[in-house]
Amino acid sequence: MDKKFDLLSTIEYGGCSAKLPAGLLSQVLSKLPVASDPRLLVDVDTHDDAGVYKINEETALIFTTDFFPPICSDGYEFGEIAAANSLSDVYAMGGKPLMALNLMMFSQEKIPLEVFSEILKGGFDKVSEAGALIVGGHTINDHPPKYGLAVVGTVHPDQLITNAGALPNEILVLTKALGTGALVSGEKNGLSSSDDYRRALKQMKHLNKNGAAVAVKYGVRCMTDMTGFGLAGHALKMAEASKVSFRIRSPHLPLLPGAYQVYEKGSIPGATFRNQEFTGEQVHYTRGVDYNLKMLLHDAQTSGGLLMSVNPDHVSALIEELNRVDPELSATVIGEVIPESPRRLYIE
Amino acid sequence: MKILDTKGLLCPQPLIMLKEAMLGLNKGEKIKVETDNETSLKNLLSYLKDQGVEPEVSNSGAVFTLLAIKPEKDLTASDPAIYCTTDISTDYVVSIKGERMGDGDPELGRVLMETFVNNLKLQEQLPSHVVLYNSGVKLAMKQSPVCSSLTELEELGTRIMLCGTCIDHYGLQYDIAVGMISNMVVITETLASAGNILSP
Repeated sequence: MDKKFDLLSTIEYGGCSAKLPAGLLSQVLSKLPVASDPRLLVDVDTHDDAGVYKINEETALIFTTDFFPPICSDGYEFGEIAAANSLSDVYAMGGKPLMALNLMMFSQEKIPLEVFSEILKGGFDKVSEAGALIVGGHTINDHPPKYGLAVVGTVHPDQLITNAGALPNEILVLTKALGTGALVSGEKNGLSSSDDYRRALKQMKHLNKNGAAVAVKYGVRCMTDMTGFGLAGHALKMAEASKVSFRIRSPHLPLLPGAYQVYEKGSIPGATFRNQEFTGEQVHYTRGVDYNLKMLLHDAQTSGGLLMSVNPDHVSALIEELNRVDPELSATVIGEVIPESPRRLYIE
Repeated sequence: MKILDTKGLLCPQPLIMLKEAMLGLNKGEKIKVETDNETSLKNLLSYLKDQGVEPEVSNSGAVFTLLAIKPEKDLTASDPAIYCTTDISTDYVVSIKGERMGDGDPELGRVLMETFVNNLKLQEQLPSHVVLYNSGVKLAMKQSPVCSSLTELEELGTRIMLCGTCIDHYGLQYDIAVGMISNMVVITETLASAGNILSP
């Protein structure tokens, strides 16, 4: 083989985020019986990031999974990003990942086998960086390929962070910049510079490990991570679960360099429109909110940052510490929690 | 009239083409877009609606045709910083400190306030914010006669802000129909940064 295999070539041109629309998913899930047990500390009810099961007074088990088709060309990088994304759910609950299983869909007839091993290597290295162990996995023949992890972690039941504990007057902090969906779309359509695209990949590989540790240290009770439903979708679920509303200041949103320009040129992925349709009437925009920012609020994130609701007295110290432990990220205050109002999100 | 043939192209290619073409059009000029992709059609419509354009859509077989007119207001806004700067000279905040307008006969005051709020939405220049405090918060409750006018204003992008302490004081937590519950920090900040304040 003279040329390196391009994983992005396996997915539909201009393909949008692979996640089912949130509205459709709720519709299906609402018809299924809900597991109920006093030992379940977090179930599907609040649309949280993972299930949490209390084993005893000291330990609760966090259980989660995530997988998706390639979002970059290189197998090793795809493995790293998919693994960082899967591990993130454990971090978002304030926990530590312990073990992971590989979930792989791969067709050896269509893709050279070495790409398979590169993906697994990327996943292995990222899981090691997280201090967890890969203990096996499962592969089936399928095309285009998909990869991710099932992860178990633990947390002390008293330190569990859910998406249901935000209180009015707390401050909303986002740990990573938005726009990974935009820059992947820009890359596919030849509209983002390679520097900007590389920066997005780098951010996606970045574990939410340090961010979560800082949140735990400052007693954060409410947190979630940014993935396919975009900032607006995940913030909406967090506000809903917490029975509050959020006020978000769009000019303060941290954006990856180049993401705004990709949207400005019209390269807005279909997932963004689907996410916007889902948040719909539950969001109010003041006049003058920039159209591209409104859409970037709905940009599907891969291995996105943590959104945390922080006690106002701790904000400056928390931001300072986040910037110290993760200087390559850009932790930012994006808004605040307000009492439950007729709409969930107020964007200005 | 400019014609864009996006048949056979997948999302987001048609939107990229439409945004580019719109930039080259004069205000009031017509554009026709053809697409055979339903997702793209939906996204194009969503984009245009956000720009205040109401396009006509027709279809023959699997091909959809969309007819739109470039609006008078500027579509570009490529720099969010410029976009977000408020124009001090025309920007104004309405500050409503009670459910009645003026002193004197309470019934008269109620009627005047109702007429005032109903007229707000008819102004050519709409307020950026309407701040409601003390018994003014009652205007945003389900049973208020101006509740629908305030809702219309909110739909038009005006931020309706309610004083949370006042809502608690009057025990109205479960009657709120419109507006964002706020506190004195935000209300003070909003009033202090307003270009003009209108207080009936």
